Amino acid sequence: MTRKTAGPSLSYRLAVTSRSLAALLGGYLLASMASICIALVAPLPRVDATLTGLLLSFVVYLLAFIWCFACRSALRAWLGVLAPSVLLGLISGLAYWMKTP
Amino acid sequence: MLGNALIAYAGFVALCLAMEKHFVDLLGRKPRPAQLRLLRSAGWLLLVLSLVFSVQLRGWAHGLVEWTAVLMAGVTLWVFGLPYQSRLLLGLAAASVVLGPLLAVLAG
Amino acid sequence: MKEGFRQAMAWLHTWTGLIFGWLLFAIFLTGTLSYFKEEITHWSQPEVRRHALDPAHSLEVAQRYLQDNAGHSGTWLIRMPNAREAALSVGYRDPDGGPRGFASKTLDTRTGQPVEARDSRGGEFFYRFHFQLQMPHPFGRWLSTFCAFIMLLGLVTGIITHKKFFKEFFTFRPGKGQRSWLDGHNAIGVLVLPFHLMISYSSLVLFMYMVMPAGIMASYGNDTGKYFNDLFGRNDAPKAAHVAAPLVPLPSLYAKVQGLQPGARIGRIQVENAGDSNARVTFTQSAADHVAYRRSANWTFDGASGALLSQGKPESGVMMTAFSFAGLHMGNFAGPWLRWLYFFFGLAGTAVIGTGLVMWLGKRQLKHAGSERLPGELRLVEVLNIASMSGLLLAVAGFFWANRLIPVGVEGRADWEVNAFFIAWGLSLVHAVLRSGRRAWGEQLALGALAFALLPLLNGLTTGQGLNHSLQAGDWAMAGFDLTALGTGLFLAWLAGKMLRSPKPMARRASRAAKKPSTETAGAS
Repeated sequence: MTRKTAGPSLSYRLAVTSRSLAALLGGYLLASMASICIALVAPLPRVDATLTGLLLSFVVYLLAFIWCFACRSALRAWLGVLAPSVLLGLISGLAYWMKTP
Repeated sequence: MLGNALIAYAGFVALCLAMEKHFVDLLGRKPRPAQLRLLRSAGWLLLVLSLVFSVQLRGWAHGLVEWTAVLMAGVTLWVFGLPYQSRLLLGLAAASVVLGPLLAVLAG
Repeated sequence: MKEGFRQAMAWLHTWTGLIFGWLLFAIFLTGTLSYFKEEITHWSQPEVRRHALDPAHSLEVAQRYLQDNAGHSGTWLIRMPNAREAALSVGYRDPDGGPRGFASKTLDTRTGQPVEARDSRGGEFFYRFHFQLQMPHPFGRWLSTFCAFIMLLGLVTGIITHKKFFKEFFTFRPGKGQRSWLDGHNAIGVLVLPFHLMISYSSLVLFMYMVMPAGIMASYGNDTGKYFNDLFGRNDAPKAAHVAAPLVPLPSLYAKVQGLQPGARIGRIQVENAGDSNARVTFTQSAADHVAYRRSANWTFDGASGALLSQGKPESGVMMTAFSFAGLHMGNFAGPWLRWLYFFFGLAGTAVIGTGLVMWLGKRQLKHAGSERLPGELRLVEVLNIASMSGLLLAVAGFFWANRLIPVGVEGRADWEVNAFFIAWGLSLVHAVLRSGRRAWGEQLALGALAFALLPLLNGLTTGQGLNHSLQAGDWAMAGFDLTALGTGLFLAWLAGKMLRSPKPMARRASRAAKKPSTETAGAS
């Protein structure tokens, strides 16, 4: 990541900041959504499903973090965490609505 | 547990020697492909053997944990000791092939 | 990030490693010390004497003390002495008591009276620091948990970045400058990887309820308490009936537990509504008996009749997974040799971080080898490296020196021991700012070497329980501490020697790398 010019450009710094926020905040959102979805959807007793969601949420956070810095642009980073979050949110909402009569 | 540790240690040394670069560095001669294959098989076999002994002696929970622990300890000793005392460590590995199973069987 | 995946991960590894490395080093070092926290506490409170373990007798002593002093209290807690912890601890709910309305006392099992020991946090200080970071609740826990996540990220990005994972599995080449540091960093990371991954992930598991509440809230709604009741299989004790009924002798219940689970070591006993007809006594098996935490390993009795009411429910597979991670992190099940391995693996994790920090700076220092002084940012990193590593070691030594030097009766001496830790740390930071890099390292490591190596002598002179006494008496905790301090001193002395010697292989290599010949070797450090 070294540049021969005098330090990183502003656009570079903004991109890194954007990716970092996507990872930190967006990643956390995605991890939370995943844990909610697993807790509501997994075919296990309620306590076990919740616990499984919790245990796996950190793996999701880790993968989200890696995605945010591996993908080709900051925009893709945000899309990569927000789109699945929305999807998981919808699935969770459906599952919740189906559970509560 | 010492017996298991020695078996695992010998296993890692065998796996190390199964790599041509290390074989040449440590034993001072070029290996035949068959020798490398033999060392690799022996290495894995010894590691599995130490796992079997460990679980048999201590049950699955403690056995698995202790096996992982002695594995990490043994290979760390080998890798960091190698630049300084390769002859001693090789000798220990050779002795472990006999001593390890002996101690493990006596303990179990 | 138009470069490849591996390069992006290398970038992430390097930068998260730097930013969080200083704090992670402190967490890992104090966490590693925590594996011997009972032994450290034993050294810190030499007045607490060990007696032969007799659980039934300890229970009798505890019950008598609590009946005499806490008869009014609704909840009693008893923590049994064990092979590593000599103290019999009792606690009871008391609004005037200590923090959170709970009074606690340490009893001598022979006299049945509170032990008169110097006020010190002992090993508990390092244990609590490593996850609370001396910050107000709950900020420290959040920060340390986030650091644990960064450590996990660092391990995974490190694995992705390490191209020759298998090829260089057995490779360590000392005496080659930066190459050796990288070899060492990789080796201590790869060879002990199962431990590093376990310790990082399990840290997250231990605080998962705090940092990831979404799942529980979604599935349990407002009744999050029910989740914990479901998880731990708790039955809350009934309210007091206000009908007096003497509490059965606890040793009799202990005997019943032994009948149900022969050979079980008991960790903790909780008594609710003592002296009431609705009294409940719960025995919890010692964490030392199983790798995983076992919610099933407890027995609840009717305190008035002595009848067994319930046993903890068996765990599901998912619960065993989570409880195993918790148990593996805590390592309570580890006997002596395994505990030492835990300690060395913890030091290995600390070394992964330390070598990473040194390399981060070392690589960039090479580019500035020709110039006299480091640019500001690099100088900052250098100062922080020194203060967070050798400085932290001085802080640890400072805590122990304070423990022996502060007079026993002084009010708040436990707090002063902690202050000594932070004062020493702060002074090391100032020293690192004032001195040039290599000299600061050398001087701090040398002082650390002295401080640790002289601890056994200080111990002997101030308490009479030095090595000559403890080795003879078979007090392995006391002797072990002194010997480890001595060993640490010798190791630091060796390091200090390397730092204080004048020829610098790094500078020489750098002057070869820089195209202009440099005659100055005393420059950048």
